[in-house]
Amino acid sequence: MTPYIAIIPIVAVMLSACASMIAEALRHPGERMPMAFFGLIGLVGAAVASVLMWDADAQSFGVVRSDNFALFINIVLCVVGVLTMLFSDEIVERENLPSGEYYALTLFAISGMMLMAAATDLLVIFLALEILSLSVYVLTGIRRASAAGAEAAFKYFLLGAFSSAFFLYGVAFAFAISGSTRLDEIGKALSSAGTGAPETMALLAVGLLAVGFAFKVSAVPFHMWTPDAYEGAPTIVTAFMSTGVKAAAFAAFVRVFLAPLEPLKDQWIPVLTVIAAATMILGTVVGVVQTNIKRMLAYSSIAHAGYLLLGIVATTDTGKAAVLFYLLAYAVSNLGALGIVALLGTSQHPHDELRDFAGLWRSRPGLAGLMTVFLLSLGGFPPLAGFIGKWYIFSAAVERGHYWLAIIGVLTSVVSVFFYLRIVVMMYMTEGTEIARPRVPLAAAAALALATAGVFYLGILPARIIDLARASIATIL
Amino acid sequence: MLLSLIVLLPVVGAVLALVAGGRGERPDREPLVRAIALGTSLVVFAATLFLWWRFDPALADYQFVEKRAWMPAFGIEYHVGVDGISLLLIVLTGFLTPLALLSSWESVHKSVKAFSFFVLGLEAAMIGVFVSIDLFLFYVFWDAMLIPMYFLIGIWGYERRVYAAVKFILYTMAGSVLMLVAIIGLAWAYKEANGAPTFNLLALHGLTLTDQMESWFFLAFTLAFAIKVPLFPFHTWLPDAHVEAPTAGSVILAGVLLKMGTYGLLRFAFPLFPGAASSFAPVLAFLAVVGIVYGALVAMVQPDLKKLVAYSSVSHLGFVVLGLSAMNVQGVQGAVYQMLAHGVSTGGLFLIVGMLSDRRHTRLISEFGGLKGVAPRFVAAFLLVTLSSIALPGLNGFVGEFLILVGAFRWSPRLTVIAATGVILSAVYMLWMFQRVNYGPVTEKNRDMKDLTPREWAVLVPTIAIAILMGVAPGLFLKPMEPSVVKVIDRVNGSQPARVENREPRPFDRAQGRPEPVEGRPAAGEPPTANSEQRVR
Repeated sequence: MTPYIAIIPIVAVMLSACASMIAEALRHPGERMPMAFFGLIGLVGAAVASVLMWDADAQSFGVVRSDNFALFINIVLCVVGVLTMLFSDEIVERENLPSGEYYALTLFAISGMMLMAAATDLLVIFLALEILSLSVYVLTGIRRASAAGAEAAFKYFLLGAFSSAFFLYGVAFAFAISGSTRLDEIGKALSSAGTGAPETMALLAVGLLAVGFAFKVSAVPFHMWTPDAYEGAPTIVTAFMSTGVKAAAFAAFVRVFLAPLEPLKDQWIPVLTVIAAATMILGTVVGVVQTNIKRMLAYSSIAHAGYLLLGIVATTDTGKAAVLFYLLAYAVSNLGALGIVALLGTSQHPHDELRDFAGLWRSRPGLAGLMTVFLLSLGGFPPLAGFIGKWYIFSAAVERGHYWLAIIGVLTSVVSVFFYLRIVVMMYMTEGTEIARPRVPLAAAAALALATAGVFYLGILPARIIDLARASIATIL
Repeated sequence: MLLSLIVLLPVVGAVLALVAGGRGERPDREPLVRAIALGTSLVVFAATLFLWWRFDPALADYQFVEKRAWMPAFGIEYHVGVDGISLLLIVLTGFLTPLALLSSWESVHKSVKAFSFFVLGLEAAMIGVFVSIDLFLFYVFWDAMLIPMYFLIGIWGYERRVYAAVKFILYTMAGSVLMLVAIIGLAWAYKEANGAPTFNLLALHGLTLTDQMESWFFLAFTLAFAIKVPLFPFHTWLPDAHVEAPTAGSVILAGVLLKMGTYGLLRFAFPLFPGAASSFAPVLAFLAVVGIVYGALVAMVQPDLKKLVAYSSVSHLGFVVLGLSAMNVQGVQGAVYQMLAHGVSTGGLFLIVGMLSDRRHTRLISEFGGLKGVAPRFVAAFLLVTLSSIALPGLNGFVGEFLILVGAFRWSPRLTVIAATGVILSAVYMLWMFQRVNYGPVTEKNRDMKDLTPREWAVLVPTIAIAILMGVAPGLFLKPMEPSVVKVIDRVNGSQPARVENREPRPFDRAQGRPEPVEGRPAAGEPPTANSEQRVR
């Protein structure tokens, strides 16, 4: 049994994915199956397993390591998953999405993400990347009748496949210099190479791996797919992938770049610095002119990727812990905001244009209030989760003397406040025509309550989560 | 516990008001919501008065200190306390909030529960700013304060409210985020020297920085505060925000929010970076004097009453910054006094303008005229508030401006001479405005103007009473602040013996013969103190 301990959370989620598939197969046409419930069981099981495995540092097969770092990401992914399941229960029905496929793919994607965070071998990371990517490609185009969805899925698939090729090529070069794809072996080979100029092959490996990760976290200039994919996908899928994929990709990014590739940091830090600055600036500046909420939040997610990159560029313990905290803070805030957009939409009227939100405060004061809380958290206002996240990330940057990056970061977050406030202005300060908006089901209300509690908890009493994040990075050297 | 209670009470009241308002628009619940909000704010005011009563005016240190770990990993604490500088500003906040709520009794009917929620939330954040000793906590309150103010302007304001609200929040935030970077930089610099980061203001006083870092940090802090004050040329958000804000918003904005800028300079920017402060003080003073004259001249030609008062704030707060830049006892005491006085008199002016605007739905000076014959009691109150804003001796404004000019003259006579013209100019624009509004023939539209209602009496009488009290008994207010002011001055001037001569305290109003708190300081020409030696390194 012992060699399998590290994969228990992953297996739990996979089993629940299989359960949804079987349920779909056994379902009579028109019958409603509580598939979200299967997902919840699997995710809660995975979360409980992750909590119990804390500090155990279990390893399986030499390539999967459930250290605290992976477990922290597991918890983030379980939060993402649980919120998605609770929101989806009604939305899948309302939008006529094929429920079996939807839940199975979402859960498989989550298991891939968990594997990605725990993998200590480049090939396993690649495997996990493909599990999650393929699931998310299909989810993006799951509205088969929608032309925009098909276009989005196709774009996402083509560019994603391209980036996978880059990544794999990088793995090949890494193997060439060290004779192994295991992260620790690669680290040993690179650090024993001495202080002289690194080999060309090592640089190629770093560059190609960076391109692969930059695609997945949608960093400039590899962000092109993001707005289209986010806009074309069903809103709930956008909510899921903007938070889940980001968490998994950043986890692997940190694990690969801040451990085995750290000896080459003099080479990659300048590159990532430029990428981080460009990502923050482009994400916010282009976000300002968007009129579609999903596109706007897509650019905001690009900007947030830029902030997260600061944590990697810092190459310190503060930076790593800040990335972990930020991923959690971003997950609850962004899922909350996009969840509300998804809840307001119907299959006839997606409710994702800026003007759709006009007068929301009059007709739905509660939803408007919560939306404001999530948007202000994304904008980094105290006392909300996003503020602590940003403060933590900028602390990491300043600690290493990256004052300019921190200044770009804070100024772009002021710009981002402008477009978050555009939604607030619409909701509170613009009279709107009354449009029929569906009511909020109980499960979704629970999800909103959970996300709101998370946003305030992380914003007002963050000490405990910060301590956990700091305790999670010991195994990432 | 008392301070936490004063910060938390408004939050509780805000939530209660929101809950009591019920679902949707419920006009029948309006009186209940208003009663809860006003009751809460009065209880908070009583609590701030209790704080003043229990405050020991002889001490220079923080009192009522509470300290709890918040994020121990970064040395961030929930650390609050009051000293003589913040004490009266807290009382001012407690005083103005009920007035602001009362002033909107008739004019605000749109979602009263949300309005009360934001006003009380704002009060909590403002008091939080004044009591914070931990820099991180201070920044949290400082930034959190923007949100309720944004909604107050954006929802309940006048025609261009959305523009003004967004401009307000972006402008002030742009300044304050750079301060956040500087705060983080300070904490890490402290870690480099002492092994663990801290955001404790008192601990950071002991930190020595390189000259370059000190200058940059000082500039980042000062930019944030200068925008808030607002110091010329960072004042452009103010007229928009003031003109578009509802009366309650304007009263709080002018009465308390602007003081946070000058308070921040005095509490954080100057004592944390004394070296940089002394080298940049002439620049600040110059900008302040430009602001005094410019604000006064622009106020003179405003057709809109609210804009006139807004520009007069630019001018009056220029005096405060001038007094702070002088960094001697008279200058700083005068500056703090002027903060309080300006809060009362400009708050009063905005209340008056709000009453005019409620009656006539216009704020244009040209629309009024001859009010004296129609509403004599109103005009009498208007006159007293106007005179207190002009700084007539015997009223609150005089003490502050006089002390500032005395202090500034000893530091830089030339600047002071120019600044003094602001005193004259303020009489010009205020009296001219008063004349155009209240004298002359009664126009047709003003013939039916109501005189003061009982509610308006309740708003104006305390304001005027405080204005007179501050004018005739300044010692009551100066006494508790003096030890803290002297302490800050010592801290800032510790490294510059050249200015020591300016600091022999001779506050003009004290004959109590208390021992001078500044004995034993090095005289001019003596070698620099230990503090400055460290600084040179």
